[in-house]
Parts: sequence; structure tokens; C-alpha cells
Amino acid sequence: MKSKRLGRTQDPTTLVLTSLSGGPKHGYAVIKDIEAVSGVSFGPGTLYGVLARLEDEGLVEPIPSDDHRRPYRITGSGAAVLRERLEANVKVANIGFKRLGTLGA
Amino acid sequence: MNTPTAIELALRCYPGWWRERYADEVRVVSRDLTAEGRSTVRVTLDLLGGAFLARSRAQGMPTTYRLWSVRTRTSVAAATLPWLLIVPFVLAAVGNVSFRSSEGPIVWSGISVMPSHLQIINHAVASPAPPLAPVGRLVLYSSLALTVLFFLTFIVLISGWSGLTSAIKRSSVAHRRRLRLLAWTPVFTLLVDVVLVITQAKMRPNSFAFHQNHVVASGGSPAVLHILDIVVPTVAIVGWLVSIACVAVAARRADVAPTDLRFGTSVATLVALLFALFVAAYATWGIALIVQTRQAANGNFTTIGYTHSGLWVPVMLVLVIAVALSVMSARAARSSWKVISTTFL
Repeated sequence: MKSKRLGRTQDPTTLVLTSLSGGPKHGYAVIKDIEAVSGVSFGPGTLYGVLARLEDEGLVEPIPSDDHRRPYRITGSGAAVLRERLEANVKVANIGFKRLGTLGA
Repeated sequence: MNTPTAIELALRCYPGWWRERYADEVRVVSRDLTAEGRSTVRVTLDLLGGAFLARSRAQGMPTTYRLWSVRTRTSVAAATLPWLLIVPFVLAAVGNVSFRSSEGPIVWSGISVMPSHLQIINHAVASPAPPLAPVGRLVLYSSLALTVLFFLTFIVLISGWSGLTSAIKRSSVAHRRRLRLLAWTPVFTLLVDVVLVITQAKMRPNSFAFHQNHVVASGGSPAVLHILDIVVPTVAIVGWLVSIACVAVAARRADVAPTDLRFGTSVATLVALLFALFVAAYATWGIALIVQTRQAANGNFTTIGYTHSGLWVPVMLVLVIAVALSVMSARAARSSWKVISTTFL
């Protein structure tokens, strides 16, 4: 059973960083990748809000391009932040699964 | 391929620095999304949400003094504008107070907030009126709070305006004289209002005589007076709105010193705080009026009425939106000032 009432399971920042960890991508490619991976469909306003924040914090960087489809890549500190977040998520997920197991669910 | 007009308009809602940096990319992504079948309305709404966040959070804004100074000034203007545009009209919409009772017309004597004597006049004979409904005191006190908060905020705004005119005088911005003229517009419009009101008074009849049991007025100029009765309120309202626009433009364009920015931020915070209290008092007033009607239905009480209290619900909705905007802008002004003080000073 899927519950939409509980909202997104991942925050947009983690989703964008996860997408870029697979290699540099431009905006549209990031949206399609996130859709394929998590089923969440971002709009351009949401995506570029996240990208602006990540770029400001030095977690992603644009790759120079002649085209308006400018690609972005994850930086070293972006990869470190993503790793930290995913590890925290895995820890929570493992505890959750373990507790569900004791419930017999 | 052209971008739909709605998307272009949504992109214009973003701040300038953001458009310079991301607009071309977003335009391409939006076109790709609409080409694959996503609705223009959905993309536009998402962009509008993004524009709101870009303006309110300014995340990713380049760290230059000019940009952060403009943001602080714009936020100060945005924190004070909702009050200036709405509150005077809200007070006017409250209307005049009157007392009612099922036993007859009520005369209110006494100069304090709480009426000291409420009397019913029946056939020229005065008798004590029924007591005020229990919640009546709350109605009167919240109505008094509205007036007090209005004048307090007005004083804060006048000190802010005075700070702005002095800051423009001290600044080295181009077109300084023009900006000062813009900032002084409220005084010019006030002078025009005063001249018109004096002229209106002069045009009123100046002598009265009894003729066949009728009072006949003479003197003055009824035709001019009739025109002035329309012109004076019109000029007052239009002058108020023009003054607000002129001061807002002057505040946005004046490249004032950092200390003046700090003063502006404090003014914005105070105005937002007083505005929030004003809305709380207005909510209390409206709810107390409703409760009073119920209490009066169950007992013999004197009730308090206001000319336009029926407008409470729509006015309350507008006030809630306006105060939210004001508080958010004051927060934006404070956060911008924090960036300026930690990065540039």
C-alpha cells in the first residue's frame, strides 16, 4: 500500500544530489532522472530553487557550455554531504525495518 | 520555438540577479517539459512558487553590497506598504459607534472609553438604560486598541520617513534632489489637502435667517461647495496612494548608508509587529461583536453597534494576507541586514 498523505520520502536536495552523483546532467535530464528514480516530478521552479541553493553552498557547480542546456556536476563536498545524508537515511531505514520485523508486519 | 506568455510572465517575477543567472536555462527546461505534455499552467505555478521563494529567501544571490542593500530597502518598503495601503481604510470601514437597546434610543454621556451614563430617552424623559452586554467592554477596549495602534504605527512611520529623507540628503546617490522631492510628496499632498479644506470651509454659507419657519442659508458658494465635497475626499485618497508610491520608489532607489539601513530595518520590524497586534485587535473586536449579539438575544442588554461592522469577514481576510506579507518582508529585511553587517561592515 502506498500512502500519498505522508508526503515525499526524500527531500528535494537529496534527490538532486543523488541524480547528479550519476554524472553531470542539465536541468531537464535531472528532472527526468528524479522522476525515474523516485517517481517525484519536479517543476523547473522547484529544480532551479534547489540548484541555486546547492550552487551557493558549493555542493554542485555548472559546467561551462555554449548551449542554454547547461549541465551541472556534483562537487567533492556535495558528494560528502550526500553520503552523510544517505547513511543517515539507511540507519533510520534499518531501524525501521528491524522494528517492523518485531511487529511481525 | 517560443516560450508561452504565462511562463515568460512568471520568469519576470524572479529577482533580476536570478534572471541573469538562470532564466535562459529555465526557459529551455520549461519548453522541454511543455513539449512532452506537461501543462503550461502547472509549469507556470511551479515557477511562481519558485519566484516567491527566490525573492523571500534570496538563496544563491551574489554577495555584493549593492544587491543586498537593494534587497534590504525593498523589504523595508514591502513591510510597511501593506499597512499604509490597508489600515487607514480599515479604520474608516469600522464606522461610527452607537448604542442600542430594545427599550428605545440610547444617549451616551461621558468622555471615557467606557460610557459612564447610558440613558434611554422616551418622550423626553430619561431613564437608566439596560447594562452593557457582558462582552461589550471587550468590544470597546478592542476598538480603542485599534485607534491607539493606528497612531503608534503612524508615529513609527513618520520617524521612518524622517530617517529616509535625512538619509537621502546625506547619500551620494545620483538624482538625489529628484529622490528628495519624491520622498517629500506626502507633505506636498498634505498641503494641497489643507488648502482645499480651508477653501471648502470658506465656500460654506456664512449667515442663516428664519423665513416662514424654515432656516435659509445665505452667503458662500453652493455650486463650488458641491464640487469641493467630491474633490476633497478624492484628492485625499489619491494623494495618500501617490505619496505611498513616491516614498516607496525613493526608498528603493536611494543608496543610503548602512546605519540608515539598520534604522529602516528596525522601523519595518516595529511596523510589522504593531500591524500584527492591530490584526489581533480587529479579530477580537469582530468576534466580540458576534458574541455580543448572542448575549443580547438571551437577556436585556445594551449592545454596541458600528456602521460598517458587516464588512468584518472580508476585511479580516485582506488583513491576514497583508500582515503575513508585512511580517515576512520585515524578516527578509532583518536577514538581509544581518548579511550586510556580517559580510560588508
